[in-house]
Amino acid sequence: MHVNWLDKYFRGDRTIWMIVFILSLFSLIAVYSSTGTLAYKYKSGNTEYYLVKHLLILVFGIGLMYAAHLVKYTYYSRISQIAFYLAIPLLALTLAMGTNLNEASRWLTLPGINLSFQTSDLAKLALIIYVARMLSKKQENIKDFKTAFVPIMLPVLIICGLILPANFSTAAVLFATSCFLMFIGRINMKYIVMLGVIGAFCVSLFVGIALLTKSSGRVGTWKARIENFVKGDDQGNYQTQQAKIAIATGGLIGKFPGHSTQKNFLPHPYSDFIYAIIIEEEGSLGGVFIIFLYVLLFFRVIRFINHSPMAFGTLLAVGCTFSLVFQAMINMAVAVNLFPVTGQPLPMLSMGGTSIWFTSIAIGIVLSVSRQVEKEKKEGGAELATT
Amino acid sequence: MEVKKDIMWRIYFSFFFICLFGVAIVVQIFRIQFVQGTYWKQKADSLTTDYRDIEASRGNITSDDGSILATSVPIYDIRMDMNADGLPEEFFNDQVDSLARCLSDLFKDRSKSEYKHDLRQARQEGDRYFLVRRNVHFPELQKVKQFPILRLGRYRGGMIVETRSVRENPFRSLAARTIGYQRAVKPVGIEAAFNKELKGVSGQRLEQKISGGIWIPINDKDEIEPKDGNDIITTLDVNIQDVAEHALEEHLRKHNADHGCAVLMEVATGEIKAIANLSRNSEGNYLEDFNYVIAEATEPGSTMKMASLLAAMDDGLVSPEDSIYVGNGEYSYYNQPMKDSHAPKATKLSVAQAFETSSNVGISKVIFNAYNKTPQKFINHLKKFHLDKSLGLQIEGEGEPRIKDVKDKDWSLVSLPWISIGYEVKLTPLQILTFYNAIANNGKMVQPKFVKEEQYHGKTVETFSTQVISDTIASPAAIAKAKKLLEGVVQKGTASSLSKSCYRIAGKTGTAQMFGNQFGYDKNHMSYQASFVGYFPADNPKYSCMVVVYAPSNDMYFGGAVAAPVFREISDKVYSTRMELHDTMPVTDSLVKSVPLAKSGSQKELNKVLAQLNVNVISPNADAAWVSTSPSANSVRLSERKIISGLMPDVSGMGAKDALNVLENAGLRVKMNGKGIVSRQSVEAGTKIQKGQQITVDLN
Repeated sequence: MHVNWLDKYFRGDRTIWMIVFILSLFSLIAVYSSTGTLAYKYKSGNTEYYLVKHLLILVFGIGLMYAAHLVKYTYYSRISQIAFYLAIPLLALTLAMGTNLNEASRWLTLPGINLSFQTSDLAKLALIIYVARMLSKKQENIKDFKTAFVPIMLPVLIICGLILPANFSTAAVLFATSCFLMFIGRINMKYIVMLGVIGAFCVSLFVGIALLTKSSGRVGTWKARIENFVKGDDQGNYQTQQAKIAIATGGLIGKFPGHSTQKNFLPHPYSDFIYAIIIEEEGSLGGVFIIFLYVLLFFRVIRFINHSPMAFGTLLAVGCTFSLVFQAMINMAVAVNLFPVTGQPLPMLSMGGTSIWFTSIAIGIVLSVSRQVEKEKKEGGAELATT
Repeated sequence: MEVKKDIMWRIYFSFFFICLFGVAIVVQIFRIQFVQGTYWKQKADSLTTDYRDIEASRGNITSDDGSILATSVPIYDIRMDMNADGLPEEFFNDQVDSLARCLSDLFKDRSKSEYKHDLRQARQEGDRYFLVRRNVHFPELQKVKQFPILRLGRYRGGMIVETRSVRENPFRSLAARTIGYQRAVKPVGIEAAFNKELKGVSGQRLEQKISGGIWIPINDKDEIEPKDGNDIITTLDVNIQDVAEHALEEHLRKHNADHGCAVLMEVATGEIKAIANLSRNSEGNYLEDFNYVIAEATEPGSTMKMASLLAAMDDGLVSPEDSIYVGNGEYSYYNQPMKDSHAPKATKLSVAQAFETSSNVGISKVIFNAYNKTPQKFINHLKKFHLDKSLGLQIEGEGEPRIKDVKDKDWSLVSLPWISIGYEVKLTPLQILTFYNAIANNGKMVQPKFVKEEQYHGKTVETFSTQVISDTIASPAAIAKAKKLLEGVVQKGTASSLSKSCYRIAGKTGTAQMFGNQFGYDKNHMSYQASFVGYFPADNPKYSCMVVVYAPSNDMYFGGAVAAPVFREISDKVYSTRMELHDTMPVTDSLVKSVPLAKSGSQKELNKVLAQLNVNVISPNADAAWVSTSPSANSVRLSERKIISGLMPDVSGMGAKDALNVLENAGLRVKMNGKGIVSRQSVEAGTKIQKGQQITVDLN
């Protein structure tokens, strides 16, 4: 009975659902523990405030995921178009008048409901789906420059260009994800490499300019971060230093939930550096387990995609998954000081409404594809055979 | 299916890439944990927690009756974090105007627009530590906490409040130098001397640093509570101190002196009741900035003559009745001339007369004759008076006294006569006073005392008893003679200005010449140091006092004229406020028998007072509310004074309180001049008056 009930309502790959729930659980524990300082500062020690808030966000996110997975994935082709054309003006608007947090215009306060959200999260998802759609549509002459590469690359450049001034790392990660997606979608490698070279050139040019000019505003932050990373060792970067202490003192099995001391030292321990806190509290075993979960997520997607006949479904699922897992890897790489400090949240783990919700929607979309594949499998291989 | 295969291998490749990424992260985790592990763990231990000092609150310094002379009060610096996480631009722009107005209204140090400009600029620069205002007191802080923006607190309004503790002297400059201060460079006074006791013991608390550099306590158990500093109870009397300072300042100003000091000591205990030190600054104002009383050792001049004579009398070499030839008041020792400041009244004076008129020639000849053969004996006797040793005071900075020995290099043939009149020696005012105090105390020399008790939260920790330097400095007979001599100075000598008083003063004037350009005078312009040291009441000494005025420059420089009046003002104040001194006041018969002057006024109150004084009262109309008084042989007669409404009442002979009562009840507006009893009223008694009419009353 029980299993039937689950079967009836929770369609799609069951393992993915499991991964989501486990990640949510980790998230809940880590956020509850690491919002101590936040609670000390703003809510006079009321740590439950952030626990409840985060729980509600997670529940709502899973609700969104559930809703998204019920929608037949082919509809996302259309939705992405709308979302894409909506994202461009929204990004522009955010740049122009967004709430100035940490001097980066990333947030847009929605009129009426007074909720601020990060427009780049919407744009990111919209772009990924849009690219998947374009790739599947252009499969016939995918190797062509003019008819395939340019119409796909242009939207990527527009969106990334609009995100770049406010959030360099998000733009860079999104661009890299898009390139990977294009590689998977069989765009001519030549063009991608070419663009990669141009991109790398632009980035290094930017880095060069940043390092040479006087630091002010965002450029100052970037410059400081790059310099700190290049300088390496313990002297420069306070955040990395504290993160390393968290990891080192966590040991193999950790200090157990709630016992982190580094949460008091790390800025944003509940988002940017949540992975370090997880290692501190749950140990390196917990940390490896998180990596395993993300890899498993990707693996599960690949497994069902093997059975998917449709290019769009494949590209959609892989695009969403890759974007998510890639961002997770970047975040964790920052936490262990493999990468310079960026402001990328850890999908499904970091506190923050917009990030969790759009991640949820992305997983919902993946599940929708998975559901469709299962359905087609059940309805018999006959249909497949006839085509 | 070719397409699908093509896509699939690319996906596998991506998956492989992600796996590789994951492995890199895992490797890095283990590298941090195992390769660099110990380093980071050590780092963690040194960074996270620390024992932080909690400063104890410093003890108070109080006067002898517990009035606070120095105390610590918290004071605040208000700063603003312009980049506070929760301070949005729009809100700031909205509220900055009213914040600027509030700040400008409260502090009045900058205009509203200046404040606004400063705040805006700081906001633009993202100043996280913008100083709004320094040294804000608690009531102001409470107000600031209600101001726009700032009322939202640290994280939304950016308000940063830093608490410090500052030392405040409620009586301001009163005895400022003796109370002193504690600071890094050259602390002085009681604050410095009793710093250890006042400071208390800092507590310690285990605290953890959280992001933003804020320290929060980890737990309560490990705390070491700070122990408050002890309170220091001084011997100073605020009222006498006040009089001493004012009297001293007044006379320093009058004589345009460079500086001066006054110190009052209780004879039996050595307790310093008042200590004033004033010096003129470049603007001509007198300020406490050096403790001359304890620190300035100078040639004392004539006040030394008492020590010289006491030594000789104690050795039985001289008696006050002996006579000495002074001639015209000029004499030369080995061609070194000595001169009296006033020409002597006769060529031959008694030793007592020579002392009373402060004859340099007379006293020096007495000593020269007595000790010419054995000068060291004289010196040794001075040393017996402890004049060569510092007093070992409770506070630092005592000036070194100097009494030279015969074997010393700078001893000369004329040293003996000159030392006898107070030159070629060095003493501080307090050292001289201690010597005179010993005479007043019948030969018992006690150490001057500034602090009598140390308390912790009102409980005595330590009492400082009177330290006896010498039980007897000279024979009782010699001391009695010395006292007589000192009384003579006031009665018929150089300090006769102090003779007219309801209590008797004994003491010695001093007028020392100061050579050199110490106070801006060259060798041709002599500078003087006028002093008076003595005690009162002369027949039962309770207090001794010394006043020194350095470099008076308005032609008057004699101790009797310059320093004695200051002494008088202080002694008068002490005498009038100390009831125990009045016991010895002579009561004459005539005073008891005569009827006291009684003001006209309320019959009820007059009866009460007169009954208390055992004065007979004759009152024909015992029910009358207001009466006038008329004294007769041994009773007071009270006759009724009728008050008729609409007519001007008679208030003549009434005190101010009664007159005001009567007149205001009659509906008049009263203006009063003078004090005492009513001598004149502007509207004659019995004339018609109107309500609200103005009337002037003179009292005297």
